[in-house]
Amino acid sequence: MGLIAREIERAGIPTVTLSVVREASVRSPAPRTVFVPFRLGQVFGEPGADVQQRAILADALAALLEMRTPGAILDLPYRWKRSVYRDPLA
Amino acid sequence: MVTKQHRWLATLYGLLPILSKLSARRWKAESDVIPWAPARIPLPEASIALVTSGGVHVKGDRPFDMTNPEGDASFRVIPGESALPDLTITHDYYDHRATDRDLNCVFPLERLRELAAARRIGRVAPRHIGTMGHLLGTEERRLVTETAPAIAQSLVDDGVDYVLAAPG
Repeated sequence: MGLIAREIERAGIPTVTLSVVREASVRSPAPRTVFVPFRLGQVFGEPGADVQQRAILADALAALLEMRTPGAILDLPYRWKRSVYRDPLA
Repeated sequence: MVTKQHRWLATLYGLLPILSKLSARRWKAESDVIPWAPARIPLPEASIALVTSGGVHVKGDRPFDMTNPEGDASFRVIPGESALPDLTITHDYYDHRATDRDLNCVFPLERLRELAAARRIGRVAPRHIGTMGHLLGTEERRLVTETAPAIAQSLVDDGVDYVLAAPG
């Protein structure tokens, strides 16, 4: 994913890359990586969990304008089902 | 074990300062190759595209090739107005049972539409991109030389402002 993100960024479009495998993001760094401690196949959250998915999506997009260091990894403060997700549309 | 190795390296670097300098220089060279396009457009004005490596594509479009052990480095265009039931996943290398029930788990197109409807983003881009991860050998090289530049060009052609890339 980092490789594609770097190519898109090189073409002039800012990118943010979601990651659930930190080693992969370290090995092939994207310009901006947002890490969530979720599982592959559910990187935006659980099926039917609209609020959780919206929260991850909104946080990842917000990181586009917040992150300043190429190759940095931003950790989102969530712990899967144990976290309370604030609906960005609420 | 780690501590012992660390101490050994520290001793070696202490003896040979040039090693530290070379190492730092190499690290700098590597970090320099991470491209950076500054994000200047407020989200409520931005056209946003999703790029997934989760094997997502339109039903009826050519599935990703699961017979090649090196994977399939081609990409699929997913129209922004697609209804999620018209999309599917061809990717045998991750557990997508959750995503088969709700594609938003890896490809949150409906969530993106909600943000657009609420004016939190400008608009959903006209075209999104599906690829499959876990490429090896020839297919990985093809991703570098052909697919990634072609994906980037199509997003530029569409006037996309920001891209959210996510794995399967």
